[in-house]
Amino acid sequence: MAVEIFNPNPTIFTSSKPSKSLKPESIWVSDPFDIKDDADTFESDELIDQDEIFDLIRSINDPEHPNTLEELRVVSAPQITVSGNRIMVEFTPTVPHCGLSTLIGLSIRVRLLRALPSRFKVDITLKPGSHQSEIAVNRQLNDKERVAAALENPALVQTLEQTLANAMLRGQPAE
Amino acid sequence: MALSYTVQAIQQLPGHEDRAWHVCWNPTKPLLASCSADKSVRVYQYNDAANFSHLTTISTGHTKTVRSLAWAPSGKTLATASFDANIGIWEQEDGDWECASLLEGHETECKSVAYSSSGTLLASCSRDKTVWIWEVHPDSDFECLSVLMEHTQDVKCVSWHPTEEILASASYDDTIKMYLDDPSDDWFCFLTLTGHTSTVWSLAWSPEKSYLASASDDKTVRIWRRVAQHKWECALVLEGNERSVYSVTWGPGKAPSSSLGWVAAVGGDGFIRVWELSENEDSSLHHNLIAQLPNAHDVHDVNSAVWCPRQGFQDLLATTGDDGTTRIWRVESKIDHV
Repeated sequence: MAVEIFNPNPTIFTSSKPSKSLKPESIWVSDPFDIKDDADTFESDELIDQDEIFDLIRSINDPEHPNTLEELRVVSAPQITVSGNRIMVEFTPTVPHCGLSTLIGLSIRVRLLRALPSRFKVDITLKPGSHQSEIAVNRQLNDKERVAAALENPALVQTLEQTLANAMLRGQPAE
Repeated sequence: MALSYTVQAIQQLPGHEDRAWHVCWNPTKPLLASCSADKSVRVYQYNDAANFSHLTTISTGHTKTVRSLAWAPSGKTLATASFDANIGIWEQEDGDWECASLLEGHETECKSVAYSSSGTLLASCSRDKTVWIWEVHPDSDFECLSVLMEHTQDVKCVSWHPTEEILASASYDDTIKMYLDDPSDDWFCFLTLTGHTSTVWSLAWSPEKSYLASASDDKTVRIWRRVAQHKWECALVLEGNERSVYSVTWGPGKAPSSSLGWVAAVGGDGFIRVWELSENEDSSLHHNLIAQLPNAHDVHDVNSAVWCPRQGFQDLLATTGDDGTTRIWRVESKIDHV
């Protein structure tokens, strides 16, 4: 983890209500449907739309602050496009020089890799104009070989797991 | 549009426990080897009827993904390139494959290895931006001749010219570079090919030796023509791929001997595409998409495609994918089945 703090004073937004797909009684984290976050939860014909993808990634922790990507407006449903089996996720770092953008993008990729059926091809990019090294970061996040090699780096995986620790909460508050 | 050939499924070879990255046909024996993120190499044998069976699994000893492999021209040695930054050299001792040598030196993941046509040189490349050239000595002794630092980003693939000692490398910096040995000095880069607008993943030389094909993240395959002894120029851009093209392979196929043979390409859109190329009278290239197959590895990316080099089997294509399988295909003419 970087010693330098990139954004000491991020703007924190309140989380929006959990999306309509959750049943009222699933407020409690102990509901098995909400804890399980692997591909088994999806029926093969289940419609996966931008709200569903947002639900999957909204509770990923920012690596630098004790907030989720939703709270920091790094990810939002309008920044996700689903077209057939292709998913495009745009994310907005809190500051244009954010050195942890690649890590954030990687955590989104890993979360979706684990949660979605294999048929989906996911492209993850920075919101245009939101980062000074936009092209370089986008290239790294979408190079399959670079991503695979990064995931064989134990130190990086450990950091990633911390960001993903509460990802299955899908927007609900942590205990 | 009706295409004149079809890609027929011959056999599916499962077994890898994680994505399979690369496959390579033995040049002198009826063997095929595949490598995987599961850190192993699977060796298959095939008979004259193109029936494949699993012969052995080499558990290597690499601590990370085995990304690529290459058979020596003799067919007796296998080289593996691993994300653990090392290159393994494997030979059979009383039937078992053993590590004859471990080549260390790269600082980060090794992406590709290739033997020169004479078998006396081995090239490797890495995310550390370098290309290494090793001399092969008897008793699996390897001497590093040169460390070339010409690319500005990861080097994804190295490939030797089919007969000359010219090496080509493909990079994340969007370029292809070619290298020669200066006998009085050192290996050097004599040419940089620009044109691709993103990472170049794979290279393949034409059987008649004058052309080079490259596959890129920009969704195209480019064909480069030799216009002078040490100069190549872009002659053709093949489009149609919907996502990154990860691998390109060029063989004679069953094309007429007057043509330049068959180019096959695979990638993230899951298709196998085959083009037949030929030279027009004015030296421009004629290209024709002769076969196309969607979902070659179901919903998964196809990472590698290689034509069989063996006489009489040159219409066989081996592919590997993210599903961990190796699949064998034959490109067949529709006319034969009338």
